Amino acid sequence: MNSKLMNFYKSHKPYSQFLLFGIILSLLPLLVNLGLVKYSLLTTVASILIYSIVALGLNLLLGYSGLISLGTAGFMGMGTYLTAFITADLGLPFELALIISVAVPMLIGVLTGLVSLRIEGYYLAIATLAISEILRKVFVEFDFVTNGFSGKQAQYPKLLGFLQLDRNGTYILIVFFLILVMVMMHNLVNSHTGRALSTMRGSEAAASAMGINIYRHRLLSFAIAVSFSALGGVLYMHFVKYTYPNAWILMLSLNILAVIVIGGVRSISGTILGAFIVFGVPDLILKRLPIIGSIDGAAYIFNGLLIILVILFYPNGLINMRFDIQRNFRKLFKRGEDLNG
Amino acid sequence: MDKMDNKVLKVENLSIAFGGLKAVDNLSFDIDEGEIFGLIGPNGAGKTTVFNCITQFYKPDEGDIYFRTNTGEVENLVGKKTHEIIGKGLVRTFQNIELIRELTVVENIMVGAHVEFKASLFNQFFRLKKTRQEESRIRKRAEEILDHMGLLSIKDMLVAGQPYGVLKKIELARALMLDPKLIILDEPAAGLNDSETLSLVNIIKEIKMERNCSILLIEHDMKFVNGLCDRICAINFGKLLAIGTPEEIQGNEQVQIAYLGKEDD
Amino acid sequence: MDIFVQILLNSLETGGIYALAALGIILIFRTSVTTNFAQGSISMFSAFLATIVLIRTGISPISAAIVGMLFALLIGVLVDYFVISRAQRVNPVSKQIITLGLIMIFLGLAPMLFGTDPLQFPRFVYGSYSFFGATISYNAIFNIVVGLALMGILFFALQKTKWGLSVRATASNDVVARMMGIPTAQVTRASWAIAAALGTLSALMLAPTNSVNLSMMDTVQVTALLACILGGFTSFYGAVIAAYLIGFASNLLSFYVSSIWSDSILYLLILTVILFKPTGIFGKKVIKKV
Repeated sequence: MNSKLMNFYKSHKPYSQFLLFGIILSLLPLLVNLGLVKYSLLTTVASILIYSIVALGLNLLLGYSGLISLGTAGFMGMGTYLTAFITADLGLPFELALIISVAVPMLIGVLTGLVSLRIEGYYLAIATLAISEILRKVFVEFDFVTNGFSGKQAQYPKLLGFLQLDRNGTYILIVFFLILVMVMMHNLVNSHTGRALSTMRGSEAAASAMGINIYRHRLLSFAIAVSFSALGGVLYMHFVKYTYPNAWILMLSLNILAVIVIGGVRSISGTILGAFIVFGVPDLILKRLPIIGSIDGAAYIFNGLLIILVILFYPNGLINMRFDIQRNFRKLFKRGEDLNG
Repeated sequence: MDKMDNKVLKVENLSIAFGGLKAVDNLSFDIDEGEIFGLIGPNGAGKTTVFNCITQFYKPDEGDIYFRTNTGEVENLVGKKTHEIIGKGLVRTFQNIELIRELTVVENIMVGAHVEFKASLFNQFFRLKKTRQEESRIRKRAEEILDHMGLLSIKDMLVAGQPYGVLKKIELARALMLDPKLIILDEPAAGLNDSETLSLVNIIKEIKMERNCSILLIEHDMKFVNGLCDRICAINFGKLLAIGTPEEIQGNEQVQIAYLGKEDD
Repeated sequence: MDIFVQILLNSLETGGIYALAALGIILIFRTSVTTNFAQGSISMFSAFLATIVLIRTGISPISAAIVGMLFALLIGVLVDYFVISRAQRVNPVSKQIITLGLIMIFLGLAPMLFGTDPLQFPRFVYGSYSFFGATISYNAIFNIVVGLALMGILFFALQKTKWGLSVRATASNDVVARMMGIPTAQVTRASWAIAAALGTLSALMLAPTNSVNLSMMDTVQVTALLACILGGFTSFYGAVIAAYLIGFASNLLSFYVSSIWSDSILYLLILTVILFKPTGIFGKKVIKKV
C-alpha cells in the first residue's frame, strides 16, 4: 500500500509534489487552532503565498521573455479595488468580481504592452513605471470608488453564493489558487508557448526564423503576468480585507522582482523559496533581532543587497543551492571512499 | 514576373544599402526545384545580406523575391513579416549557430515546428488532450529526424556543451521539421573538420533526395561547394560576377580575380 | 499672453530639472548599456546629505549644493566600483535589475540615516522680477541659467575634449574603444559620478517647492526616463530637448486642463507618441545584425 502510494508520487512528479506542498500548507490553520504556532503566522504565510502567485506570473515575463515590469504593485492594487467595489459596493458575487478584477487590469496591461513592446524590451519597464504612477493617482483621486487615502474594505469571500468562508477558509482558497497557478505555469513552460518564449529570449533571430511572432509572445507573457498580479490582488483583498493607496508603491513591485531574482529565474520552486525569503525573513527574523529590527528600511536594504549579490555571484538563484549542496556532499562522500579504498 | 516553371525562388534586381554603402547591388538569380545552389564570394561580398533579404530580416530597398510556396502558389516575399516566412516553406540556418542553450536537443528541434502547434493557451495551461497529442506527434517527428542524423542518443541532453559539429547538425535538423521547399544554409561547413564536413555533405545530399527540396547555401570552402552544388552564383561587392556550373565558375576569370586578386603583368 | 509667458518661464525651469536628470540617465546608458532606474534615488540621497550639511553647518544653499554634488560624485564612483564594474558580464536585463536593487538600498538607507520627516531646502537666491505681466523669481532664473550652462559645458566637453571623445567611443563600441587604448572603465566610472551629480542638482532645484523627502524624485525619475524614450536613447541632445518639451507640456496641461491629472495625461500622451513613433522623435532606426 505504502509503496503503491510512493510509486504514484514518483510517477506523477511534479504534480504530486505540488499537491503534497498544498496539503502541507493546508495544515497550518490546524496548527494555529491547536495553539502550536502563533495566530499571526497564518497572516504572514498567506501573504507570502499571495506574493508567490504574483511572482510566478512575473517569472514567466522576466525569466522566459527577459522583460521587466514595474507595474506589478499597481496592477495588484487595481485588483484589490475592483473586487472590493464589485463585492462590497455593488453586492455582486465573488466569482464575477474575480473574473472582472482580473480581466480589466489585463486589458490595461495589454494596452501598455501594445505601446511599449514593439521596439526595445526595456521600454516595458519604463512604460509600466509610468502606468503604475497613474494608477496610484487614480487610487487616491477616484475617492468615490476608492475612498482615497482612508482606504477601502471588503469581506471574506462567499463562494457560489452560499459558502461563506472564514479566515481559515480564505487561507485554504489562497493555497488552492497557488497550487493551481503552479500547475498552470509548469504546463505552459513545457508546451510550445514556453519553448517559444525561451527561444525568443535566447535568440530573437532564431525565433523569427522559426515563425515565432515576438511581439505577440511578449504581449502574451505580459498579459499573463498582469493577470496573476491582479489575481493576487483579489485574494489579498479578501484575506486582508483592507486596501489603501500606499500599499501599492514601487517598493512592492521591486520586492516581487527580488523574489524571482533571489529565488531563481525560470524556477517554480525557486519563486516560492524567494517569496519566503523576501517576505518571510524580514517579518519572521529581521524584526526580532535587536537593534536591526527597530530600523526602518532594514528589509529594503536586505532585499536590495541580496538582489545584487545573487546577480553577481549566484545568477541562477538560491534554489540552485540544493544542487550545489548535493554535489559537494557527493564529493565529500567520494573523497571518503577514496580514503577508505 | 517571368515564368516560374520549375523554379522555387527567383530573386530579381535585389538592392539594399546601409548608410549609402550598397551591400547588394541589382542582383538577380533563380533556383530550380530540387537544386542545390551555392552563393559564393569573398568576405564582405554581401552573401549573408542576400540571405537576410530573402528571409525578410532586412527589408530590401529595391527588387522582388518570388517564391513558390508549399501550396504551389508564387508569392513575392518582399514586405512579409520575418516570422511569416517559415510558414511559406522557406527556412534558414545561421552563420553563428542560434540554438537555445537552456532547452534540450529535442526541444530545440521541436521549436522548428512552432507554427504547426495550434493548441490554445487555455489548452496548454491545463495540458488538455490537444496539447498532449500535438506534443507527442511533433516530438516523435523530431526524434525521427534526430535518429536519421545519428543524434538520437543525445536527444534529452541540453544543447549547452555539445560539440560544434553536433550543434551544426541540430540546427539543420530544426530546419527540416516543417518539410520546407527551400532550405537556406549560412556557411554550414564553417568550423567543421574534414570528417565532419564529409558527413555534412552526405546529410545535405540525402535531404535533397529524400525530401525533394531545394537548398541554397553560402560557403567559403570551394571544395565543399564544388562537390555539392548543381549551380553556383558568385558575387562581389554585392554585384553578380557569374552564374553557372561549378566547372564554369572555376574557370571564370572574374571569379578568380575576386578571390585571388589580379596578377600584375 | 502674460499667462503664456509665465508658462514658458516655468517650463524652462521644470524642463531644466528633467533635462539634468535625463542627461545623467543617457550618459549611463551610453557607457554602461543600462537604464539607470536608481538615478532618482541616488539624487534624493545626495540631496538629503546636502540638506543635512546645510542645517548642521549653516553654509549657504549654493555651497551646500556643491557639497551635495561632491557627495554625489563620490556615491557614483562607489556604486560603479562596488557594483557596476563587477557586472560587466551580466546580461542587460540583470543589469537593469541591479539598478533596481540600488533603489531599494538607497531608499532603505535614507530613513535610517536622515529620519523619515521631510526636510526644507531653501532657494538659492531670493526676490523676483516682472516683465510682460509675468513674474519670475531670481531663483528660477538662477536654476534656468545654471542648468543651461551646465548642459552647455557638458555638451562642449562631449564634443571637444578627450574625455568626451572617450565617452562617445565607449558608447559606440566599448570593446573596440578598449582596444584603441581608451580607459573605458574610468570613462564609465566618471559617467556614473557625473550622472549622480547632475541628478543631485536637479533634486536640489526641485527641493524648495517640494521639500526634501523620500519620494521627491519619483516624478522626475519617470519623466526623465520617458524623455529618454521620446528623445531616443541613441542621442544626448534628443533627451534634453524632449525633457524641455515635456516640461512645457506639463505646465501647459496643469494650467489649462488639470493640475492633479497633468502628469498622468502627460504620461499617456507620451506613450501615445511612442506608439506612432517607436524610436522616439529624434531616434534613428537601428538595424540589428544577424
